[in-house]
Amino acid sequence: MNRNLYQPINGQITDIIDESPTIKTFVIKPENNFKFETGQFVELTLPGEGEAPFTPSSSPTVTEQMDITIMKTGRVTGLLHECQKGQKVGVRGPYGNGYPVDNFAGRDVYIVGGGVGLAPIRSLFLTLVDRIKDFKSVVCRYGAKTPDDFIYKNTLFGPWQKIDGVDIKLTVDKANGQTSASSVEPWKDNVGVVTTILDPNDVNIKNAVAVVCGPPIMMKFATMKLLEFGFTPKDIYLSMEKNMSCGFGKCGHCMIGKYYVCKDGPVFTYEQLKDYPNIWA
Amino acid sequence: MKMERVFTSKLKPFLDAVAGQMDLYVHKKSGQHYVFSAYDPSAATEVEFNNIRACTPVKEFLFPLCELAAVFPEPLEPEDIKPFAVFGLKDCDLRSIEVLDKVFLEDEFKDPFYVARREKMFIISSDCFEPGESCFCNILDGQPYAESGFDLNVSQVKDGYIIEAGSQKGKDFLEKHPELFTDTPEGALAERDKIRAETKKKLEQQNAELKFDTPIRDVMTATQDTDIYDEEAKTCVECQACTRVCPTCHCFYLYDTKQKDYFSKMKMWDSCMRMSYAQVAGGENPRRILGDRLKHRLMHKLAYFVDRYGINMCVGCGRCVDAEAGAIDIRNVLKKLNEQLKGKKEAKVAK
Repeated sequence: MNRNLYQPINGQITDIIDESPTIKTFVIKPENNFKFETGQFVELTLPGEGEAPFTPSSSPTVTEQMDITIMKTGRVTGLLHECQKGQKVGVRGPYGNGYPVDNFAGRDVYIVGGGVGLAPIRSLFLTLVDRIKDFKSVVCRYGAKTPDDFIYKNTLFGPWQKIDGVDIKLTVDKANGQTSASSVEPWKDNVGVVTTILDPNDVNIKNAVAVVCGPPIMMKFATMKLLEFGFTPKDIYLSMEKNMSCGFGKCGHCMIGKYYVCKDGPVFTYEQLKDYPNIWA
Repeated sequence: MKMERVFTSKLKPFLDAVAGQMDLYVHKKSGQHYVFSAYDPSAATEVEFNNIRACTPVKEFLFPLCELAAVFPEPLEPEDIKPFAVFGLKDCDLRSIEVLDKVFLEDEFKDPFYVARREKMFIISSDCFEPGESCFCNILDGQPYAESGFDLNVSQVKDGYIIEAGSQKGKDFLEKHPELFTDTPEGALAERDKIRAETKKKLEQQNAELKFDTPIRDVMTATQDTDIYDEEAKTCVECQACTRVCPTCHCFYLYDTKQKDYFSKMKMWDSCMRMSYAQVAGGENPRRILGDRLKHRLMHKLAYFVDRYGINMCVGCGRCVDAEAGAIDIRNVLKKLNEQLKGKKEAKVAK
């Protein structure tokens, strides 16, 4: 028989990190080494319960284990949040195309992220930082609902901001009088949705690519803003969230027009998608 | 005798010989339609030569309604698929297999279960001679007889049946059974061609109102913003019958189950007409509106699939028209879209 596409590799949850009240990062160790490109996704099975697509948030250079950051948002993710270390899982993939990092060389990389959308972006960020000299700059604009809702707080509020060639700005929808988790200081940064911290002078738009990942509504308005700044649709990369199920362009659930998000994406340029209906929902 | 084209006056000995080698399915009348049924060689009567396709889709043989896709932690032993033949398939059926082949035999991601069944399938097609009311294959590059895609094809003429081989497998079968066949009598071939031309004409007359000056793919994309789909969807009761009986619809759903000492992943037919079909975990749904789902279904068949694989994903078999519980008729939708496009063009010229 041909290789069974539907057969997951057995694996195990070896660590669980609380990121925010609704988000946890699961460290998963598959039986065999597992290679992926940044931006590709995997199908994670909770045996007997269900399967869901996630983009690993760890660096692709690590192949013996991977981090998967998961927001509690549906049935399978709810059950995953109840799991303990040692839980057996299944992993299929990697699927899709990933970020075309080589095409970003010599350019400003303008990353706009929101909420749990930081998960795939973390993997991209680590990949870019690994070869930071290849890019003119890496400029990140992240938003979260409240300071508590930021994920990867320990690195985001500290070490990442100090990397040469990296410029990070953060914003929250509501400060709620809360403090940044890495300090006892009240929230001093911007309050407002992520588009309020985007500035056309952040990057040299003529020689920049933008990467957008976050909740659909944020992706929509961020893309509109970037177009307004003068980004061309082919320089805006979107990490699309659809109902990817099989992972190889057959089952149909994730279609946008002629594209299967699982096979042709999940990373698309806005140019590819702009003429199809309902892309943001 | 050359064994690429032979003749027999009776079907039964031929079908008995097929059934002697593999499981054989034939068309059997059920009410006013045909369904697939296991062939019974002990029956004394001659098997019925079906004038039209079955009402159930041939995909059932290759892509069953529900199947076991994976077992873990210990992987699945592949099921042993026995060779099987289906007699009486029509050109639209063969073209629906061509569509499924594009999807499930795609180089990089071959579906192992589909491959296993497809390799064991022996296709015996036959000519249509009386198109159904809902048949419109001629609009979508089809015709009432097959010229490729079969192992054997059977054409009925007055005194018997002309059998043609379309593959090495088919030729091998004919060569193995010379005792069953004779040379094709003089005039039989001309008679077959006459029947074919007449049937084709009947189809064309029946669908004379469906005329497109623009390729259907372009009609679909040029009318994307129309409200015709919302209007049409008003009578849809979301029974999903259209996607079940459609021979090219191939959406499926993967779900996990717990057994006593193992876990399994199942693969089951799904339908893009289902409300939560494209919904993601957070509740976002790109096609919450029924008209959007109908639009996606038809755009997939007649535009997206064409852009991706170069052929239509609708073969014009009319099964969805027969199964429709509301009042949606794909032919009417196409007609309306085409008229709207014509109207648009005329308005442009008038300007």
